[in-house]
Amino acid sequence: MKIIKSLLAGASLALVASISQAATSGNTLATVDPEADRSAMQSYFQKRFPQVALSDYVNGIYALDAPSREQWQSIEEFPPYEFDIEEGEALFNKTFANGKSYADCFANGGIGIRQNFPRWDASQGKVVTLELAINQCRKANGEEALGWKKGKIAQISAYMAFTSRDNVFDVQIPNDKAKAAYLDGKQSFYARRGQLNMSCANCHIAGAYIKIRADLPGPTLGHVTHFPVFRSKWGELGTLQRRYGGCQKNVRGVPQKTQGEKFRNLEFFQTYMSNGLVVNGPGARK
Amino acid sequence: MKKTISLVAALMMVSGVVAAHPFNEAFNEQRAMYGKGHSFTWNGQTYITDHPEEIAAAVVANAANATALLAAAKDQYTQVLAVDFGWTLTKNLLKSAGKALETGEFRKSMDLSAQAQYHSRMGIAQYHQSQAEWIMAVPE
Ligand code: HEC
Repeated sequence: MKIIKSLLAGASLALVASISQAATSGNTLATVDPEADRSAMQSYFQKRFPQVALSDYVNGIYALDAPSREQWQSIEEFPPYEFDIEEGEALFNKTFANGKSYADCFANGGIGIRQNFPRWDASQGKVVTLELAINQCRKANGEEALGWKKGKIAQISAYMAFTSRDNVFDVQIPNDKAKAAYLDGKQSFYARRGQLNMSCANCHIAGAYIKIRADLPGPTLGHVTHFPVFRSKWGELGTLQRRYGGCQKNVRGVPQKTQGEKFRNLEFFQTYMSNGLVVNGPGARK
Repeated sequence: MKKTISLVAALMMVSGVVAAHPFNEAFNEQRAMYGKGHSFTWNGQTYITDHPEEIAAAVVANAANATALLAAAKDQYTQVLAVDFGWTLTKNLLKSAGKALETGEFRKSMDLSAQAQYHSRMGIAQYHQSQAEWIMAVPE
């Protein structure tokens, strides 16, 4: 416990120091500029890791860490999520009791559209993630909603990501309401939480590729591209927001609600940051 | 006399997790090094390293006081959850404080309640602090 504390104190000092130029605006609706944020984020990482190609960030920590990249590549030779993609495809194609199916709910029959999520839905006035859209589709067709974090919803999401591989993320912020949601997500990402008093940014920007306890956090750039993820620790597939909750618990904070407004906005922000990178989900992680 | 000063110190200390104020930094450092009940000098004044919750719990251990402290701690927990900045250990602290109260271990219960209430107050401070300061962590 004592060791953890002093390590963290040391780490957080180093982390604070490593952001040499912090923003002074961009925290209000009037000044927030998502495109400027995105290019600042990308140039931050490119300056810090000049040897890493921007396109390689879709591989998360494996873009930065050669030893774990090798392990990972050997895992990817027999992808542990293969079965889930097949299951996901079967679930996706199964018709509902009313004769309709997921294909009826999505653009292009739901094929090759992962890169457009999460999307701002003007009629609902909120950010809709792919998983939320899946459950909304079910409800609209008289089916029960699925659990959010794993199992069938993750399998369907995995299949939909798989049909979208190599498509370029293109999250749009069409109006001020959407921008407010983005700003809320941005704030969440930088807000310190939990007893350990750490933000996502502490670990995934300044702390990327810096050992924190036994862990090596990856860069936030590309965080979303390979989800859902088959994680060895879980022994199964899980969604992005399952991971959000896990990271919040790791800093001894009570996790926010899966698919609640806060997490949807956070996902909106995180995905916007990865605009321009390709979809490569589902992925495999430790 | 000592008691009054320490109370003032504790009230001045908006937050233990947040060290923006030089006094808070000094307090946190002293607290981390020496734990509670330690006095130190800062800008010519003597302070003690106790949290306000600990000072509030430093009263006679009986059922009435333990009940009141637990109620206050639960109330603070509701408030921190309302701003979505709760800490994970608090719930169990409250549970244990409740159990200790039931079995008549008033001192134990009061200390646990104080700890739980401290967590929640820090979470609330963290919420306010993050509203004001998150932008300083954004790379430009
Ligand atoms: C104490 C440090 C820490 C904090 C704070 C933290 N994380 Fe993490 N996170 C990690 C580590 C370590 C991993 C596993 C290594 C990796 O892949 O980055 C991880 C993994 C992830 C992943 C999966 C990455 C992948 O490639 O599969 C996502 C997404 C993520 N974190 C998002 C967040 C978000 C959002 C927050 C804030 C709510 C957050 N994290 C806060 C340490 C942290």
